[in-house]
Amino acid sequence: MSKIEKALKKAGEDRGNLQLVAAAATRGRRAPWTALLGQKIEPPRQQSEPPRQQSEPPRQQIKPLGQQIEPPETISRMADNEHKLLSADELRERGIIHPKQTREPAVQVFRELRTKINQQSRGQNAVILVAAVSRGNGASFIARNLAAAFAFDSAKTALLVDCNLRNPSVHQLLPGASLPGLADYFENPEIAVSKIIHPVGIARLRAITTGGLREIPAEYFVSMKMRRLIESLRERYRERFIVLDGPPMSDIADARILSELSDYVLIVARHGRATNAQIESGLSAISSRKLLGIVFNDEPRIPSLR
Amino acid sequence: MQMYPEQIATALINESFYSRRLVVGMFVIVNVVMLTAGLLWPKSYTGSTSIVVDEKSIMEPLMKGAAVATETADRNRNVREVILGRRILGQVLERAGWLADHPTVLEQEGLIERIKARTTVTAVGRDVIKIEYRDNNQERTLFVTKTFADLFIQEMVAEKESETRSAFDFIDKQAREYQQKLTVAEEQLRQLRSSNLDSRPGSDTELSARLIALNTRIENTTMELREAEMKHASLERQVNGEAEVTVLATREGQFRARIAELQAKLDTLRLTFLDTHPDIVQLKYQIQDLRAEANAQRERRDKFKPSDRLETDEMVVNNPVYQQLRRDLSQSQLTMDALKARIAEARRLLQEEVDRGKGLHSGDARLVELTRDYQINREIYQDLLHRRERARVSINMDSDRQGSSFRILEPAKSSLSPNSPRFWQFMLGGAVLGVLIPLGLLFTRLQFDPRVRLANAISEEHKVPMAAIVPHLWSPGELRGLRKELAILALVVTATLALSATLSVVRFLGVL
Repeated sequence: MSKIEKALKKAGEDRGNLQLVAAAATRGRRAPWTALLGQKIEPPRQQSEPPRQQSEPPRQQIKPLGQQIEPPETISRMADNEHKLLSADELRERGIIHPKQTREPAVQVFRELRTKINQQSRGQNAVILVAAVSRGNGASFIARNLAAAFAFDSAKTALLVDCNLRNPSVHQLLPGASLPGLADYFENPEIAVSKIIHPVGIARLRAITTGGLREIPAEYFVSMKMRRLIESLRERYRERFIVLDGPPMSDIADARILSELSDYVLIVARHGRATNAQIESGLSAISSRKLLGIVFNDEPRIPSLR
Repeated sequence: MQMYPEQIATALINESFYSRRLVVGMFVIVNVVMLTAGLLWPKSYTGSTSIVVDEKSIMEPLMKGAAVATETADRNRNVREVILGRRILGQVLERAGWLADHPTVLEQEGLIERIKARTTVTAVGRDVIKIEYRDNNQERTLFVTKTFADLFIQEMVAEKESETRSAFDFIDKQAREYQQKLTVAEEQLRQLRSSNLDSRPGSDTELSARLIALNTRIENTTMELREAEMKHASLERQVNGEAEVTVLATREGQFRARIAELQAKLDTLRLTFLDTHPDIVQLKYQIQDLRAEANAQRERRDKFKPSDRLETDEMVVNNPVYQQLRRDLSQSQLTMDALKARIAEARRLLQEEVDRGKGLHSGDARLVELTRDYQINREIYQDLLHRRERARVSINMDSDRQGSSFRILEPAKSSLSPNSPRFWQFMLGGAVLGVLIPLGLLFTRLQFDPRVRLANAISEEHKVPMAAIVPHLWSPGELRGLRKELAILALVVTATLALSATLSVVRFLGVL
């Protein structure tokens, strides 16, 4: 991106943020089922209407304005702009599925999960929180692959946000360890959202790390800034699915706050790891309307060795 | 949680794969343990012999009906106690050469306990017992089994003899006791008889007959007496009504009768004649004379009357009826007196009989008692005499070994090859258990592990939809590692199986 572009984007974001603050103050929390009902997200509409109107006419207007909504063609182009895409084997080495691995059952499973979420959200993008019932249940794996599965579709993009502050993992996907992330965004008001969104070597998939190495207090999640961040991420690209790699449900406070910010929640329970009591307490922390279901992770299955 | 068989099978396969190292490790351990057990398992031979035991207590037939023997303990247990008793085991220990290196008492105790543990005594059918003995030495197995049988028979015969002897002694003693009792009873009976002569059988009825007779006699006599009394009373009444003498018979009376006669004649004559007629005058004089005479008589009689003595002059005639009545009266008086005497006598006899009867009854009861004792004693005594003779015959039979009821049905024999579990059985068991035990443990873990291992268990338990069941995503590196691991595990399993097969073959060839 050129410097001009960046400046434009930042200006647009700041404006959007301000609008969002006003919107949040007037309407309170957004009803989670609005997405299920297939309604357009009402409150932001007022603010985002000018961009949409602009998006409906010829597309060349979009770029200078740096607005959030971009058509599929832009996304395709964005894919072309990826620095360097990882090969299928490299992905597998990192525990990420690849659409070409058709024989791999996990790929099929994630595809199905993605389709299920698509059906639920009626084609709208959504914020999905993936949280394990306790540590070590593999929520990051699920979140990562779910995001990858969303990115399979060339008309969609996915954004993986690492919200697991105590045990971050998304940064492993990135080449540089010191790239700015959530912490930097919260700490430093000058950092733009686009600065913390990094490509991970997978087409149409971006990631936000926790950033830095120090621990971010959980209070950030309650902050208006976090809410604004999520909203702006959601609104920026209508085809972008946001997957929050959440903290384990055992940290009930964090998980609950994040579940309020998200549209759907997936609870991850790992074979031979999660107990029924943990699942029960995790379920009790989540509103059943948002709950998509439980993902049973790491089911032992004899792989095909050929 | 309800699981279908195919679900269980799938779950078990997946779990075995998940815990593959554990499963293979356990397979190897179980196999090694079984092979070691097979190698170390001592060879054992079993010797067996059967003995016909017709063990009826000698007391039973001898004392049949006369005495009830105490219930003997369960026979098989009895036999077992005899065979595994200290006496026989001690001898076995000695004969089989266990005492050659002079073990201490404590060691002997241990040896005996071990022999006991290796010996089984079982009842085959009603009268056959089977003795089985296990040992790791074939010769000794045979020898000990044989010794058991011999010693057992010997012991039982000796015991039976002593039993017969003691039975005889007992019967003999009893017979003597009863003889004494019988003598005493006889003596008592004799004394009672001599002291109480009346007491004979039947004297009771006789007495009652006599009493009845006496009572009858008293009644009859009383009746007669009453009759005599009535007769007497009647006679007395008649006597009172009768005059003692007839007045007409007096002389005055005669005169008066003559006077009357003459007066009649005079009256008749006066009808025809005058008073001057001679006849009439004569008659008048005659009457006059007669009257004078009559008066004289009356005067004379009156003169005697105050003396109240019956004047017996020739003119007084006694009244015959009166006389007769007086005679009858005195006769009836006599009869009455006689009857009264007879009643008194009969009463006295009756009293005597009653007194005698009382004495007779008390004697009778005693007699009955003594007689009964005597009879019972006599019966038992006679019975005992019979039995004693039979016991004597039994003793003779035992001494001649005629009625021996113990004999060896099947002579001692020992298995030619060891009959402990074979090595190949251990090998096969190891292979099978090596699979079954880990599977069982995995199944147990599936059932009881609080951590969830089955996806449908979660949705069933929490009633929430299962969004996805994600299998493990194998990275190429992991797959390489897995291939290597599986190869190693297969090698381990093959090596284990090969080892057990080799050992089995070696064992079969008799090298080990």
